[in-house]
Amino acid sequence: MTDVSLTGTALSGFSWRGRIFGIARRSPTFAIGFAIVAAFALIAIFADIIAPFGPIETFSREVLIPPGAKFIFGADGNGMDVFSRVLHGARYAFGIAVPSAALMLVIGVPLGLIAGYKGGVLDEIVLRIMDVLRSFPSIVLALAVVAATGQSLVNVVLVIGFLDAPIFARLVRSEVLALRSSGFIESAVAAGNPTWRILFVHLMPNAIRGSTAMIAVRMAWAVRISATLAFIGVGIQAPTPEWGAMIRQGAEFIISGEWWVALFPGAALVGVVLGFNLLGDGLQDLLDPRRKATGK
Amino acid sequence: MSVRRFLLRRLVLVVPILLGITFLTFMLVRIGEQSPVAMLGGPMADQATFAIIEEELGLDRPFFVQFGIYLGKLVQGDLGDSWQSSERVADEIRNRLPASLELLIFSVLLGALIGVPVGLRSAQRPNGLFDQVSRFVSLFGFSVPTYWIALMSIFVFFFLLRWSPPPMGRLNIMSFPPPRLTGSYFIDSIVSGNWSTAWSALGHLTLPVILFSIIVAAPIIKHTRAIALEVLSSDYARAQGLRPKTVRRIALRNAIVPILTFIGTELTGLLAAVSLLELIFAWGGLGQWGLNAILLGDFAAVQGYVLVLAVFSVSIFVVIDLLVLVLEPRATLRS
Repeated sequence: MTDVSLTGTALSGFSWRGRIFGIARRSPTFAIGFAIVAAFALIAIFADIIAPFGPIETFSREVLIPPGAKFIFGADGNGMDVFSRVLHGARYAFGIAVPSAALMLVIGVPLGLIAGYKGGVLDEIVLRIMDVLRSFPSIVLALAVVAATGQSLVNVVLVIGFLDAPIFARLVRSEVLALRSSGFIESAVAAGNPTWRILFVHLMPNAIRGSTAMIAVRMAWAVRISATLAFIGVGIQAPTPEWGAMIRQGAEFIISGEWWVALFPGAALVGVVLGFNLLGDGLQDLLDPRRKATGK
Repeated sequence: MSVRRFLLRRLVLVVPILLGITFLTFMLVRIGEQSPVAMLGGPMADQATFAIIEEELGLDRPFFVQFGIYLGKLVQGDLGDSWQSSERVADEIRNRLPASLELLIFSVLLGALIGVPVGLRSAQRPNGLFDQVSRFVSLFGFSVPTYWIALMSIFVFFFLLRWSPPPMGRLNIMSFPPPRLTGSYFIDSIVSGNWSTAWSALGHLTLPVILFSIIVAAPIIKHTRAIALEVLSSDYARAQGLRPKTVRRIALRNAIVPILTFIGTELTGLLAAVSLLELIFAWGGLGQWGLNAILLGDFAAVQGYVLVLAVFSVSIFVVIDLLVLVLEPRATLRS
């Protein structure tokens, strides 16, 4: 999974074996975040095996049953098992977070590399796009785009990926600006390397190090915003077992006191998002001990 | 550079940003599946009716012609009409903005009152118990979805405990809105001496304001802590050989400007973030209206809404710059 590869980057230069406890001691935040994310990843993978019922299996005589022996998280307004649905919801959380994070990097990193290394018009364009996006509240933009382009999982991923790409473009760009005139780049140029090789072989490994913690933070955001979109009613729709859509279903029962329909998917959502955020915070501690838990 | 030239320069820089946002919104609403023509025509309308409606709305013209007309009206302060309510968008915004601002301003004040002291206290003993707890609470505030915690607290405080009024609007049905002064029902009814209305307004404000202030406080705690830590660890504060308590006082004075700057930057996104809370509490503010407009494909309304958000955040950036200038004598006027 992605979290494993994150750790790999975070600890390059360390001997990996026997270090787990050392890491946990150096940053308990990272350890807790990693544990939470890993647990939810396992749930996502084995949802079919753990869940007692299917995610959209209906029991038409057992509508809005409070949590009990058969339905440990209760049953929702359609007579579906909330527990099984919450477990399957993890698949949507990761199914959105992982590809959109990949998309952010695939778009953002090359843009940042080229903009920082070449400068000029392209750099100017990237900066202006950043300005526009910064003044544009992301939730409104995401909502408008998803409402406009149609409600599917793929669209949600695309929108999140494109919206966040400039963040990585900017991070990488500023790293490249700092690295551009350093000795090893100059010697690479002198040795006759083509530009693409300098960008992707020499600059990229050094320039994306600072983005590692941001990846986890933006994955947290991706999970959150996709659930928000589903809650508002664009994006993924019920009866798909997506947490935001489930909270939306539960919202109508809150005033009449059927709390379990909205509580459990929301709690799972908070869990995953908190996990990714802790992971991001911890990564920052590990990578940059001087600036312990500062930054965005 | 004089303050006036500085402001002028900022204004010139702001124009392309606003233009970009306007264009982006204009394009986005039009590539969508929702079309006002289909909604106005209804399911029974035929092709001819659609054509007439399209012509009335001006949607049959080429895209850039439409955009040009829109811009032309925009510079005259005309934001177009909402097809949904047939009201002028500018009027709708003027009527609804105060409701959102009321929620926003009270929440930000409360959030800052909680966030800044907690962040400062955390920074005094990094990784102490207080710091660990407050860091976790702050991360929790980052991670919890506004709408979910709002639903949960409606269940607890309205359904179970009956402390809170029903989450429907800003006043109970027995109260009339006070004469409009600031647009905040609470402040206006106090000014006009209408105590029962003020009480009702306060009751309706309490839960959403407390909830939103948690969301607001989370990043404030984090950043205040970071800023204070940086200032406290710098040498100039310790080098004077003063007592630790005095050092702290001097150091924290230097943290005020970056903290204020951060709160300002945070404000820019909150006018949009508050819309979800408005939706749940049926607040009738700008955010709720904007969300609905987006969902219904109400072109002029969406464009107006996004433009207001953009102008709001851009002007906050300018105000922050000016504020820094006033508070920080060392700051010079740079672009």
